Amino acid sequence: MNRSTAFQFRAGTSFFHRLDPLTKLAWLVAISLLAFGAYIAWVQIVITIVVLFTAFVLARLPLLVVVRGTWLFALACLSFLVIQTLTLPGNHVAFHILGHPIYAESADYALASALRIYTIILSSLVFVRTTDPRELAIALVTQMRVPYRIAYAFFIALRIIPTIEEEIKTIRAAQAVRGVVHQRSVAGRIGEAKRYAMPLLVGSLRKASMMVMSMEARAFGAYPQRTFVEAPHMSASGITVCVVMLALVITWYAALGLGYVHSFYILSA
Amino acid sequence: MASVAAGHPTDVASLRSAQVTLAPATAAQEAGSGTEARSACDLAVDLRNISYAYEGETEDVLRNVSLTVRDGEFVLILGPSGCGKSTLLQLLNGTIPHTLRGRLEGEASVCGKPILSTKVASFATEVGMVFQDPEAQIINTRVRDEVCFGLENLCRPAAEILERQREALDFVGLDGFGDRSIFDLSGGQKQRVSIAAVLAARPRLLVLDEPTANLDPAGMAEIFAVLERLNREAGTTIVMVEHRVDELADRVSRVLMMDRGSIVFDGTPREAFSQRRVAYSEENAAVPTSAWFPQACEFALALGDRMGRPVDATGMPLNVSEAVAFADRCIGMATATTQPPAPLSTCPSTANDPAFLRVKQLSFGYEKKLPILSDIGFDVGRGEMIALCGRNGSGKTTLARLLMHINAPPRGTIWLEGRDVADLSAREISSEIGYVFQNPDHQFVTDRVWDEIAYGLKVRNYADNAVAERVGEVLDIVDLTRYRDRSPFSLSLGERRRLSVATMLVLEPHLLVLDEPTIGQDHERAQQLMGLMARLRERYRTSILMITHDVRLVAEWADRALVISGGRLPFDGSPEAMFADDALIADAGLLAPPVYEISKALVAKHPGSLLRPTLSLPLLADTIARIGGETA
Repeated sequence: MNRSTAFQFRAGTSFFHRLDPLTKLAWLVAISLLAFGAYIAWVQIVITIVVLFTAFVLARLPLLVVVRGTWLFALACLSFLVIQTLTLPGNHVAFHILGHPIYAESADYALASALRIYTIILSSLVFVRTTDPRELAIALVTQMRVPYRIAYAFFIALRIIPTIEEEIKTIRAAQAVRGVVHQRSVAGRIGEAKRYAMPLLVGSLRKASMMVMSMEARAFGAYPQRTFVEAPHMSASGITVCVVMLALVITWYAALGLGYVHSFYILSA
Repeated sequence: MASVAAGHPTDVASLRSAQVTLAPATAAQEAGSGTEARSACDLAVDLRNISYAYEGETEDVLRNVSLTVRDGEFVLILGPSGCGKSTLLQLLNGTIPHTLRGRLEGEASVCGKPILSTKVASFATEVGMVFQDPEAQIINTRVRDEVCFGLENLCRPAAEILERQREALDFVGLDGFGDRSIFDLSGGQKQRVSIAAVLAARPRLLVLDEPTANLDPAGMAEIFAVLERLNREAGTTIVMVEHRVDELADRVSRVLMMDRGSIVFDGTPREAFSQRRVAYSEENAAVPTSAWFPQACEFALALGDRMGRPVDATGMPLNVSEAVAFADRCIGMATATTQPPAPLSTCPSTANDPAFLRVKQLSFGYEKKLPILSDIGFDVGRGEMIALCGRNGSGKTTLARLLMHINAPPRGTIWLEGRDVADLSAREISSEIGYVFQNPDHQFVTDRVWDEIAYGLKVRNYADNAVAERVGEVLDIVDLTRYRDRSPFSLSLGERRRLSVATMLVLEPHLLVLDEPTIGQDHERAQQLMGLMARLRERYRTSILMITHDVRLVAEWADRALVISGGRLPFDGSPEAMFADDALIADAGLLAPPVYEISKALVAKHPGSLLRPTLSLPLLADTIARIGGETA
């Protein structure tokens, strides 16, 4: 009954929800490739804007969900930005803070690397939140020819993560009642992990063996193939998204290779 | 969405072969099987001289078990924990010996297929298995996917699968639930999905292992109604292990009782519940079989004892209306009497101490728009035994967690000995309030029983000699002294439960909160735990707050009941008053215990008599015996 985690599938009717899982996977891979292309701030700003647009408009994710899912990473990115801006060397002094010179190269690089991490986290959130893991598993089997046992193993792993999270919360509460204080030191955390391990292991093994019995009793694994009553397929809009993303990735890497793309401070110089 | 059918099943029928002997049959067995001439075609289950030990274990869990179940039977299996009930069920679809390996002797065939040479998957169309925990057995996240799962694995065509899926959901009363997420369903609904998921394959035999253990009474009633229909209308054979016999006794056709791996009784429900016997638990303690009897039968036996007329199997009532008729016969023609009515109260009166725990205007929700609790208020005095009742998910556990500051309560809403709980740490609160979690394993933090009990004292810096003295005393109270050096995880469930109580007890708290003390426990074990609670109350004036939907537990032990419904607290009073309010108990998903229903029906039939609605079985039997004696 606790507040659910933001990184969890929620059914919806947005454009992005309706896309098939493989198209969304292609989108995620393409965004990551675009973001990893180069440390150039203006490019990363454009990519971030595109991902934010997808999150809020195409996937209609509530602001609260995006904030809850990414605030910790946003904080980390912000600290990277500050530290790198202040410490990295450069040639062009952009401005001074308290007499300390801030170089255009370091500020550009710091902003680019901070945004890159944030973009990848945010696009993963959009993907996870809008994609039913079961549909993804089925798509992998029916469209990518992945063996169904492997695809189901992947799906069940995703399916039981929230159950294990819930179990850890219960164990933490149960042990807090015993007078165990939540530890912050490394040694304390190791001790804590040791105390959690046994009950968690016992509980997980019991659940896992129950799942195996439940699946086997319903003929899972009896034949090399199985029927999928509802298998997702790529719609026209899915194909369009894939083509656009592919074109963007090719164009981007071609432009990089040919030396057409430069940082803002070089463009303005 | 497109339909994809892939692959063709190999002919399952090719696996049907002649019965295979798992171990050489003795001459006597051969002679026996020849004379009985059992026909395999109408036998759903045919086990002969089965013994089984889990892999790596020397002791047999099943000992020389022989059992035949004909098509259309509804078999209930009873027995103390560790008697081999669940193991027997796992044999019925080949999980034993194919998934859970071990040493198996004897002959076994189910639905005409020999167990040893038939894979578990090949039983999927004949045997449906439903387990206790819906969370662990449901694989998919959407209702329709779960119901289609088995037939998809069997490579049936998509159109047939969808049709059968609709039928199965319709049968369990979940028509139109196909697109729902599993996470949005109640416990009873989830368990009905589990049943639909096996029904889709139209099994001949349905095997259920305590399917209602995690459910509230309303959820339990849903499941039993579905099973009755399935057995009566569809003719499905059912074999089931279940502790909640009150609502089941008149629905089953046959009862088996097991004891230490053997079947010690096999007969009709009336025969089963007309004679008290003794079985032995895994801890080797004697358990009266009457611990599993329906209350209607217990009532008849008690009344028979008082009237000096033993009840035979033919006259044994199995439900409330039969028990009322039975009592009527005992009362004879007695009508009005001029004697003063017997006192109403059957429970010890509540202590009049000032409250040490006070909850005032407590509202709480993880999200502002979704309050789980609204405006809750009550006091707890010393030595009270309070039941906190309500449907699954009504907010009972959330309330208990707020009392313990596991979740932070709003300031000024919970006061412990005059101090605001919001200002206290979990460690400070746990000196005053002990919380026994549903699963004892979650609470263990050391590797040794003695250390486990000492832990709470040590973190509170008690002197070594004081620790030793108190641990010794508590080990004695919970009867675990002989296991002081064992690992907590090596104890049986009942012992682990007692150990988790002991870890709380050692701090001498004013209040013990028990979270669903009967889930996963048989009636006898729950009774032992409650007996321990009663002793604590007597000795230390400890108050007990039990979160439960076990109405017999409430009726027998609680002297006060709180009902949570829709996040509010619509009732705070005696259990009798709670069960007297039909609208309230329907709203809270409860069912009154049979003894209350029996007494209520008798009062309506005999107005002006000594009879009063009561939760006390001895009191009701005494009163009827008195009236009957007078008329005689």
